[in-house]
Amino acid sequence: MQIQPILAALRRHKAGTLLIALQIALTLAIVCNALFIIHQRLSHLSEPSGVDEANLFVIENFWGVQYSTQEASSEIKADLAALRQLPAVEDAAPSNSYPLRGGGWDNFISLTPEQIKPTTDASVYISDESLIHTLGVKLIAGRDFTPDEVRDMGTRENIHPPVVIVSKAMADKLFPDGNALGKPLYSMSAEPTVIIGIVERLQREEVNTWSAPFVNQSLIWPMRQAIPIGLYYIVRAKPGQLAAAMQEAPKALYGRNRMRIIDSHDGLLSFAQVRQRAYNRDRGMAVLLGIICVVLLAITGAGIVGLTSFWVGQRRKQIGVRRALGATHRDILHYFLTENLLISLGGIAVGVLLTFGLNLWLVTRFELRVMPLAYVLSGVVILLLLGQGAVFAPALRASRVSPVEATRPV
Amino acid sequence: MLKMTHLSKVYRTEVVETYALRDFNIDVKEGEFVAVTGPSGSGKTTFLTIAGLLETFTGGEYHLDGVEVSHLDDNARSRIRNEKIGFIFQAFNLIPDLNVFDNVEVPLRYRGMKAPERKQRIMDALERVGLASRAKHYPAELSGGQQQRVAIARALAGSPRLLLADEPTGNLDTQMARGVLELLEEIHREGATIVMVTHDPELAARAQRNVHIIDGQVVDLAEDPRFHTAYAAAAGQVRG
Ligand SMILES: Nc1ncnc2c1ncn2[C@@H]1O[C@H](COP(=O)(O)OP(=O)(O)O)[C@@H](O)[C@H]1O
Ligand SMILES: [Mg+2]
Repeated sequence: MQIQPILAALRRHKAGTLLIALQIALTLAIVCNALFIIHQRLSHLSEPSGVDEANLFVIENFWGVQYSTQEASSEIKADLAALRQLPAVEDAAPSNSYPLRGGGWDNFISLTPEQIKPTTDASVYISDESLIHTLGVKLIAGRDFTPDEVRDMGTRENIHPPVVIVSKAMADKLFPDGNALGKPLYSMSAEPTVIIGIVERLQREEVNTWSAPFVNQSLIWPMRQAIPIGLYYIVRAKPGQLAAAMQEAPKALYGRNRMRIIDSHDGLLSFAQVRQRAYNRDRGMAVLLGIICVVLLAITGAGIVGLTSFWVGQRRKQIGVRRALGATHRDILHYFLTENLLISLGGIAVGVLLTFGLNLWLVTRFELRVMPLAYVLSGVVILLLLGQGAVFAPALRASRVSPVEATRPV
Repeated sequence: MLKMTHLSKVYRTEVVETYALRDFNIDVKEGEFVAVTGPSGSGKTTFLTIAGLLETFTGGEYHLDGVEVSHLDDNARSRIRNEKIGFIFQAFNLIPDLNVFDNVEVPLRYRGMKAPERKQRIMDALERVGLASRAKHYPAELSGGQQQRVAIARALAGSPRLLLADEPTGNLDTQMARGVLELLEEIHREGATIVMVTHDPELAARAQRNVHIIDGQVVDLAEDPRFHTAYAAAAGQVRG
């Protein structure tokens, strides 16, 4: 290794050296952060929802008539009965929303009624005693609702259910000691709501990065959304009969009562479609960032190839002189590889600082998480390999310069 | 030390074949100081590049220090250049990005010499050419004569047995040229074999032996009528 003379020579080529080092630094910072965001988005994507996704679908039902609370309530009950009668259907439940829908009802949750700052928040699913069985989620403690615990919720009444079923993540958040069952929680009311059951896992409705830390905090309120607008029916098909169930269900509903709208495009979605839609933006973002990374790396690689080629052309004479003075092919190859390594290391040193700087800014601006060291390390490895790879072809060309070039005028 | 027999060198381009050397015979003994003269384009540089293993030849034989070199691979040739041969070029050929010290160090690094020994040899060599005080200067900051002295120091530092110089004074004025020649004579007295190409008959006259090349062949000056005209023309060019 001949680091000292290579550094000495580089000092005479400051502009090119600084330019490439800076490019490497910026690329490192952007690629590391992009990879981190991509990973976050993608890991998000494979998050299990806790429900029996393979056999579930949802129907979005709008009423075509202004029903009173009582009327809406009995219509819902009749609809559910009709759905459950279908041969391909296992069970059905009414709900205000479902996991991965993208948005819904979100409540602050406190441990005492006087609390000013809430303890945390939860996605609220409004449904009845059929929801747990329909979703296929597992009740790990306590019990399900009884039919008489389910109340009708109209437009005007501000009712608060006395009992609630929560997800395990929710229970653990509120009662880290693990004794949530039977305890009260308070949600925008001075009336306590007692936890009567805990389900193993039930994902929230939103899938944005903001909610990522509480992705499984949810609770179920025993209420029937008997309001004039409409509601969702969550339907669980018998195993392997999803397609048949999805065909039969809307027909059965229209057959029972025509005064409704089920949108032909969005009104009937299998859970696979729900998942696809929920993560469309994340996937798009990941692909976009991936493309940016590849383009950036390609530009940096091309920059290194270009500059080294230029330098090799510029130094043909001195390469010939070095060869005349005893340098082997390998010595010349090493010279350029080492030179690139030194520039890369310089760029990387600055780049690591930039990487953490950018991450810090993203953390404060966009609530991103702090980047683990592994990302920076893999970014460093990628850039070192890129540099050495990019420099190899011109370096090989340099090593083939004949020693006779030393004697001939250029 | 250096023996070529029936050696030929052909440069082929798409249109022509140029015989830069043909049936070229020369025998330089260990410790000799030989001056090579001849008109421009006669093959002097070609001869030196082949002698210095910078280039391969087309036919014939070349023994360097008793070894037939045509079968050596590139690494072996590099090692011989590094250890046995010192080059001095007309255009000095210092590396502009490196200072004087680092320039002289180049061949020593390729030899894998340890830093303390390198430093010792570099300073000794620079001392000999009178430029120890300029070790930190860059080539561009030196005069032509000084640059050629640095080049000589670079050749000297490796203590080569054979010194090849291609018109070492061609870019220098008379006074500087004389200084360079005195250095070469001193090196020769210490035992090195020197082959020097030159246009200058005065300098050539100070060598032990003169070899004349015309049209890629070594000729006997006294017997070849071609030489008289060519030599006179070349000498006239240099003086004019
Ligand atoms: N690389 C080359 N390609 C083609 N012809 C060459 C090359 N190098 C030298 N020659 C030719 O070989 C002949 C000898 O050249 P050279 O050895 O440089 O002569 P000198 O040094 O005596 O002036 C010239 O005719 C020259 O044009
Ligand atoms: Mg010449």
